[in-house]
Amino acid sequence: MHFFSQSFQYEHPWSHVVIGMWRKYPNPKCTHVVSVDVMDRSVHPETGIVRTERLFRCKQKAPAWIIKVFGGSEDAYVREISFVDPATQNTTITSVNLSLSQFATCYEVVQYTPLTPNRTNFHQTAEIQARLALWRSAADGLEKWLVQRFEHNAQLGKTAFTDVLRTLWEERQAQSVIV
Amino acid sequence: MAESLSPECTPLKMKYDSCFNSWFEGYLEPAVAARPEERAAYSKKKAEEFQRNCGKIWEEYKSCVQKAVKDKGLDKLLQQAREENPLKEPPTGSSPPPTSK
Repeated sequence: MHFFSQSFQYEHPWSHVVIGMWRKYPNPKCTHVVSVDVMDRSVHPETGIVRTERLFRCKQKAPAWIIKVFGGSEDAYVREISFVDPATQNTTITSVNLSLSQFATCYEVVQYTPLTPNRTNFHQTAEIQARLALWRSAADGLEKWLVQRFEHNAQLGKTAFTDVLRTLWEERQAQSVIV
Repeated sequence: MAESLSPECTPLKMKYDSCFNSWFEGYLEPAVAARPEERAAYSKKKAEEFQRNCGKIWEEYKSCVQKAVKDKGLDKLLQQAREENPLKEPPTGSSPPPTSK
């Protein structure tokens, strides 16, 4: 498991940051984000919390071997859930990869909170984790297959050499009888 | 505003995004300033206004993008992610939920 975290301050009021959040893409500095779609959105009729589920398509520059081994493609998809709570002035954005998620997950949490009336704190954490259980079962499967192959070949080797020895010594014996 | 997953949904998406943005920009600052006793009434009024203003374009955009998601075979991945971590409430910690896999 790997962790990543960083903090940063934007010189803008919290509400300006949160309004700007929906206008971040397309962005010439983030050309890897190809599309952004809203999959679900709700406004809580009591708390006023706005919950949004979005789907991002990103062009990933994955190493060729990753695409070969894991069968991925150039496109990576990410699901993002955000909560904007005007009562606490808290914005929490959680993202997880959909592509290759059977092998590893990258779980990212971003928070925007007001620091002063004109400054907003940005805090980001990410947890990157390979799915060990899956690796383990894949490794188990591979081991079992190797054991089977080994047993099979060992069996063949044994009978093959038995044949060689029998042929050799039966021939020798036959010759000695003749001589 | 960013493109949609499927080019045919992009015009609907742009309309929906504009509708949401103009609603949200009017919503946010009064929502922050609302006194606790006013909050529920304000939230209810604005939630209804959002539905009234953007509900129709949302339905159009949603049916377009849901089809695109299905056509690209992403519906199962999305469903799996939703089951694993529904995130119906704001997360309390920064850790992902424990996974069974």
